[in-house]
Amino acid sequence: MLEVPATIRTDDAIADLIDIDTGVVFQATEVDDDWDHVAAELRAAFDATKPAAIAGQPVVYIVSSDALLGRTGTGNAMVATGLLSAARTLAAELRRDGVPVNVLGIESDTPADVIVTWVERLLEVGGPTGELLQLGGTQIGKALP
Amino acid sequence: MRTGIVTGAARGIGAAIARRLATDLDHLVLVDLAPELADTADEIAAGGTTVSPIQVDLTSDAGIHAVVGAVGANSLDSLVNNAGITRDARLVNMAAEDFTAVLDVNLGAPHRLIQALADHFAEGAGIVNIASRAYLGNFGQFNYSMSKGGVVGLTRALAIELAPRVHVNAVAPGLIATEMAMGIPDDIRNRMIEAIPMKRMGEPSDVAELVAFLASRRSGYITGHVHVIGGGRSLT
Repeated sequence: MLEVPATIRTDDAIADLIDIDTGVVFQATEVDDDWDHVAAELRAAFDATKPAAIAGQPVVYIVSSDALLGRTGTGNAMVATGLLSAARTLAAELRRDGVPVNVLGIESDTPADVIVTWVERLLEVGGPTGELLQLGGTQIGKALP
Repeated sequence: MRTGIVTGAARGIGAAIARRLATDLDHLVLVDLAPELADTADEIAAGGTTVSPIQVDLTSDAGIHAVVGAVGANSLDSLVNNAGITRDARLVNMAAEDFTAVLDVNLGAPHRLIQALADHFAEGAGIVNIASRAYLGNFGQFNYSMSKGGVVGLTRALAIELAPRVHVNAVAPGLIATEMAMGIPDDIRNRMIEAIPMKRMGEPSDVAELVAFLASRRSGYITGHVHVIGGGRSLT
């Protein structure tokens, strides 16, 4: 496997706390309902993820749990659910190499240190892969993404 | 005049949906880039439904405008976003242009078409977006599964935004007997069929029956959900 540095594209509050040598942590940024903006955000995820896949590095996408359910507009919904499905596919592609790919669903008031704790766990080899973990509990009783 | 639109209507699942909707609606706008669209349109028109075939690229502004123009002053009862393409590769080998092309056709086009048609929907109208079982994840389809996952999210957001006037659902077909499925090598396809509890590929007409229900007023209290039609394949 190639050695490439970690790629962290998240809010500053999260990036400041993350301490990893390898892997991709990509947080969906808020978009409006303009397709060009949605496409650019998904393309940014592709650009960040492909080198990591080649290098056999773990990946975590961070998305809004509200966006997964379509509560914050079409643009954010397409990004969040698109990333979730892409993560499931990449998890299948990297499973035999033991490389985890997961998604973390957060709420608007989830503390940065809690997010980082779970991001680092989801990057661990030997843990879950292809999974969505949601923090906060508001997803209970709602549609399964 | 009860009016509907089906995209990707020239062949396969889209043509089957168009044939089935023709029994419920008076006028169909059928959209595809492929020239076979004319044959499908003629066949359906022979049954008495009026048909406007529109041969355009839905990733272009001109294509979107042509479809909106074909609807004209009619209010729209049913919209089925079915047009889709594949450019399969493992992510490690996937070209950026193949990533972008699949996203633009499979997700950008339905999103932009619905935005453009927002003022045309009749009270009680049904939108059906064709996703895929691959939204649950599928080896070699990073771009395709992302686009189809995006379709599921688009469906949920629209279900909230367009309620109570319009209901919106996604249909996620598994392995269906179309040209797309026949492109899979025989041995792999046979192994896939073996893993399907129903022990066969789905027929386009199987999908069309579900889509016709979800695109009609009969399903007016069902909205924002993804309906998998795959012979049980997502369980095994």
